[in-house]
Formats: sequence, C-alpha cells, structure tokens
Amino acid sequence: MNMENGACSGQSAVEAIGVHDFSEKLLEQVVHFHVMKLTGGFFLWVGASPVLSNLAVSMNSKFDSMPLSTLVLGDSSDTTPNSLAQRLTKKTKKQVFVSYNLPVTDSNLTLLVENRIRKEMELHPDKF
Amino acid sequence: MAHQPFIKTRQTEKTVNGISTQVVCTEFSNYIFIVLTQYGKIGTLVSVTPDARCSDISTPMFTTKVLLGKDEALTHVYAKNIATFVSQEAGNRPVLLGLALKDCSAENMKTLKDMIKSCQVW
Repeated sequence: MNMENGACSGQSAVEAIGVHDFSEKLLEQVVHFHVMKLTGGFFLWVGASPVLSNLAVSMNSKFDSMPLSTLVLGDSSDTTPNSLAQRLTKKTKKQVFVSYNLPVTDSNLTLLVENRIRKEMELHPDKF
Repeated sequence: MAHQPFIKTRQTEKTVNGISTQVVCTEFSNYIFIVLTQYGKIGTLVSVTPDARCSDISTPMFTTKVLLGKDEALTHVYAKNIATFVSQEAGNRPVLLGLALKDCSAENMKTLKDMIKSCQVW
C-alpha cells in the first residue's frame, strides 16, 4: 500500500463544493439547470419550476461497461432521470445525481436538454 | 439589480473538531435539500418528512427514510435531530439530507445545526 506522510493515498482530498447555474430557452420554454460539484461526482437539477420531483443516482461498475443507476426518489415508471444520470456517468466516469423536472412526453426536449448539458460541460468542465 | 439564480442556495464551510465541514442548503418548493459533509460528497441520503396528521399534538412526528446508503439506527436519530427544525421553520416542508460525517459525536450537533441555520434558504 502506498503511504505518504502517514496518510493513505487512496483517500481523495475533499474539495470545496461548487454551485453553478445556467438556463436556456428550449422549445419555447426556459429550462433552468443547477449543478453542485462534489468530490468524485456532481448533482444536477433540471426544470422549469423549482420543484424536486425525482432523484436518480448513477455510478460506474467494474463488472459492467454500462454504469449502474437507480431512482432514489420519485416515480420509478419515469425512466428519464435514470437514463440521463447513466449517460452522464458514462461520459464523465463520475457519480452523478440527476433530478429531471420537465414533462417527459416530449422526447425532443429531453434530447435538447442533454445536448445543452453536454455543451455546458465542454464550456465549463471545472463546474462538473 | 444582481441576477438571482433560479434555484436558491447558500453554503458555508467550517472546521469542526479539526475536520473541514461543508454545508450546502438548496430550496425547492416541495423540499429543502441539505448537504452536510466532511467528505465533499452527499454520502447517505435521508428524507425527513413531517407526518400529515399531527394537528392535535403540539410536537409533530417525523418519518425518516434512508434513500441511499447504510440504513443504521443512528442515521435516523441524527437526521431527525438535525433536520426537524428546518422542516418546521420551512412550513413543514420535507427535508432531503445528504449526510457524510467522519465525526458523529453528539457534542458537534449544535455546531452543525448552527452551520445549517447560517445557510437559511427557507
């Protein structure tokens, strides 16, 4: 085991939690995004009104190339938060919490939302 | 006027018993989301919900549920102790609490609650 100054190197340093907000008009409605950067992951909320109706969490598994994901809050028949969290973990290799609070009937909107998130990740990689 | 973010959030950092401790409080219309962490992570996620039928008793009852992480008795005690006042002050809104503490001693409880109080978003 690798030890440095008596501290176990496996223990990651605790970073300051950073908060990042942005919004975008998508399909005639303003969609708000709220990101909380955590150590080894991030929390992402998406919505048009300030409600927290679901929460999914996703992380990588060494047994599967596809990240694992589960819904910890909300209606499990709605798979959007789960799949979004899963795809963001796939991209970032991080633990991702996602709360998706938009109508899920419109799959075009879901796609636009995900593209907007990806764009923000490219613009501000340090915020995620 | 400065631009107000859509989601109201406040945070603070303090060294408690030699350990760097962070609090982030976020307001949603149906939840107050609190991250109380000494690891920089959400850790154990607990919901603290006031019971609907308590109008006849002076002290409301709360239901705690571990949504993610180890479901230990102490987690429920801790979550209830920390989040009850927030829920009451926030008009009986449920609290979603992310708890990741290295030091869970009862002596620190007041300091941690004061940190949460200083991040009032409700």
